[in-house]
Amino acid sequence: MDISYWGLFFSLLLLAFPLFIFWHLKLKLTRQLLISFGRMIAQLALIGIWLQILLDKNNIWLTLGWLLIMITNAVIILRNRMKSHKRILAPIFFIALAAASLIVMPWVLFVVIRPNPLFSAEVVIPIYGMVLGNTMNSCALAMERFEGKLSDNWKAYYTLISLGASDWEAALPAFRQAMHISLLPRLLSIAAMGIVSLPGMMSGQILGGASALVAIKYQVMIMAAIFSSVTIADYLAIRLYLKWRFDQFYLPKEER
Amino acid sequence: MSELLKIRIDRLYYGKRNLVENIDLTVNKGDKILLAGTTGSGKTSLLNSLNLMNQSYEGEIVFDGRAITGCPPQFLRSRILMVMQEPWLGEGIVEDILAEPFSFAAVRKRGIKKDDKMILELFDLFKLPQEHLKKKAEQLSGGEKQRIALIRALIMKPEILLLDEISSALDQGTSRIVAEYLLKSYPGTIIAISHDPLWQAHWQIQWHIKDGIIHIIQGGE
Repeated sequence: MDISYWGLFFSLLLLAFPLFIFWHLKLKLTRQLLISFGRMIAQLALIGIWLQILLDKNNIWLTLGWLLIMITNAVIILRNRMKSHKRILAPIFFIALAAASLIVMPWVLFVVIRPNPLFSAEVVIPIYGMVLGNTMNSCALAMERFEGKLSDNWKAYYTLISLGASDWEAALPAFRQAMHISLLPRLLSIAAMGIVSLPGMMSGQILGGASALVAIKYQVMIMAAIFSSVTIADYLAIRLYLKWRFDQFYLPKEER
Repeated sequence: MSELLKIRIDRLYYGKRNLVENIDLTVNKGDKILLAGTTGSGKTSLLNSLNLMNQSYEGEIVFDGRAITGCPPQFLRSRILMVMQEPWLGEGIVEDILAEPFSFAAVRKRGIKKDDKMILELFDLFKLPQEHLKKKAEQLSGGEKQRIALIRALIMKPEILLLDEISSALDQGTSRIVAEYLLKSYPGTIIAISHDPLWQAHWQIQWHIKDGIIHIIQGGE
């Protein structure tokens, strides 16, 4: 079922409610709301046109090139989100995201969905968008938490290495906590799926006319792909960062 | 006596500031050494240099015939073990805190096993009730934490024990008991920083840092 342009316009009229509440509370978010929605509409319109070209051409190299642009953008966004060690984090994030993508996506495409043609832009781009977007956000959170846990308690780290722990052994508690903080909310939201929330992909497919059964199958598949990609990327990013973070004497690099 | 550690440092520094120059020291097995000097004289920097926690020096430290910079840090630190002034114990109960280092690969490789009998003996000696084994670290006082950190180090049977002001939170009576054990009964080698007059009077050897030079003073008991 399509939405008419008038319908789209009316959907934006719903923003009158938040604008009224902002005005009432003298909340300085009106400008940001207009900028955010304006940017979203412009970006989605442009990307829509571009995606339509990609889908029409359905050229494997064009699609692969686009995936590379997606991952590069994700790395730039991640790098800019970090407060320190930006230079080293860019290649680390790239390796983590690329490795997670290279493990999960071929499996999803060539084993699970097996579209015809096998590398169909129509399937690859939306699925990769969902996997990469979630992986990027999780990676940022996990890395922030890992560095935060280490920096909050250097005494713990120094005590453990002075007792004969390696850098890996001494940073393991922070590593565990970062992974836990990153993954637990996802597992809880997966557990609530269907009862509390109807996920975006499933709702979109049902609205797009797919049967509920197909929508459910896709949803289960995408959640497995996202969770797997998130865990692999979090693990690799922190592991690589940990390797870089300490020198050959296991002392933090910036401390000396 | 067999030689354990040779320290030849031309310059020990912190940032751009020279702390100590021309250090030429030898540590023999069983030595009990007090490292003394005013605040900021370089005591902690020197102590930290011995287990690779500080590299701000020019020179060489040789342990057991090998330059320490060539030793894997985890193996060196499990043999030259440091107890800090404000020790971090961990979040679990004391029993698990004492067991934790034995899970490290370097400690396992040394073949040292946790000795429960030794733990109980040290608890008795250091006036710690055995019920504390089941307590969490956050339930302990500063002095109790210092003694537990010392016990954690002792049961790892290090070849050299580096102590940085470990009696600062102990009352006089307990400080005396700990000092007497370390100086009279403990067979290992100790290099310690302490401002406690009780401790200062009893060491075999004193390395006294004054005006950027280390003076070796033989004495004590």
